[in-house]
Amino acid sequence: MTGSSRTRWIIVAAILAVGLAIAWSARPQPLTAAARADRISAELRCPVCQGLSVQDSPSETARSMRALVAQRVAEGRTDDEIRAEFQQSYGDWILLSPPLLSPSGLVWLAPLAAVAAGAWLAWRRARAPALATTGNGPTAAELQRLREQVASEPE
Amino acid sequence: MNRIARYSAVALIVGLALVLTLAFRRDPHDIKTGTVGKPAPAFTLPSLADGTSVSLDQYKGKIVILNFWSSWCIPCKEENPALTNVWERYRGTDVVLLGVVFQDSADAARAYTSRLGNTWASAIDDNGQVALSYGVFGPPETYFIGADGVIAGRHIGPIDESTLLTGIETLRKSAKQ
Repeated sequence: MTGSSRTRWIIVAAILAVGLAIAWSARPQPLTAAARADRISAELRCPVCQGLSVQDSPSETARSMRALVAQRVAEGRTDDEIRAEFQQSYGDWILLSPPLLSPSGLVWLAPLAAVAAGAWLAWRRARAPALATTGNGPTAAELQRLREQVASEPE
Repeated sequence: MNRIARYSAVALIVGLALVLTLAFRRDPHDIKTGTVGKPAPAFTLPSLADGTSVSLDQYKGKIVILNFWSSWCIPCKEENPALTNVWERYRGTDVVLLGVVFQDSADAARAYTSRLGNTWASAIDDNGQVALSYGVFGPPETYFIGADGVIAGRHIGPIDESTLLTGIETLRKSAKQ
């Protein structure tokens, strides 16, 4: 094995080792009950705060909600069941990321629609000069007149 | 092109005006999402007065005005005269006024009711879970529960006598039909 091919193999092995280490550290790990409760609380909106999650809010209501989430986790309820319980009481509004298939899911669709409308307008605008040239160009008679005018001008 | 841009701008402004008009017309005290139109969540809580059990089930077939309150809440104090008048008017009829104290200590709540002379029943929701099951944002909040056990409406913030009477009489009429 030559020196350069050995170097190449070492680089490949190092890249593989780094990739495996990243994959190993990012592997899905079973969450503890407390971590699950924290994650669900972070997805719920605090009803009495301005843009804070239940996890981040120090309010009394958020504290009650965190306690209820922890209790439901301890009872063995799934994440979806716990979220659904709060949705039943407060509506989809209680979720910081509203479901796509709901009236509040418009918050996801509105930016996409705006980008699509902007792209369409930009496309129309880009095409506009070409259309203008084609549509408003000089007629054959005008061209002829211009040629005659240029020819008659002294050099 | 210019015509399209003009029409788009006009459509945008009209749409925005429509959305704002609809939004401003909505009563912020009357939020329809959540539990309104659904069966009232059942609960059993200790009574504030003597600790005996108070459950929603015991008022089955009656119109229940469920009022969530706290002794530290100033708007709760503001709405108290309206609740007192309604309680005096419907006492012993098919209409029940039931308070639920939450985010408060039992001692402070008892001192509050005795100071204001409130005689209708209140239950204490120590961990706030009943309030959460109703989708309460904060005190005061009032729920109108029909004789069929379904939540017909909710009022966020201090309630006045006329809103209470309108809600109760609407429920009484629909119960008779």
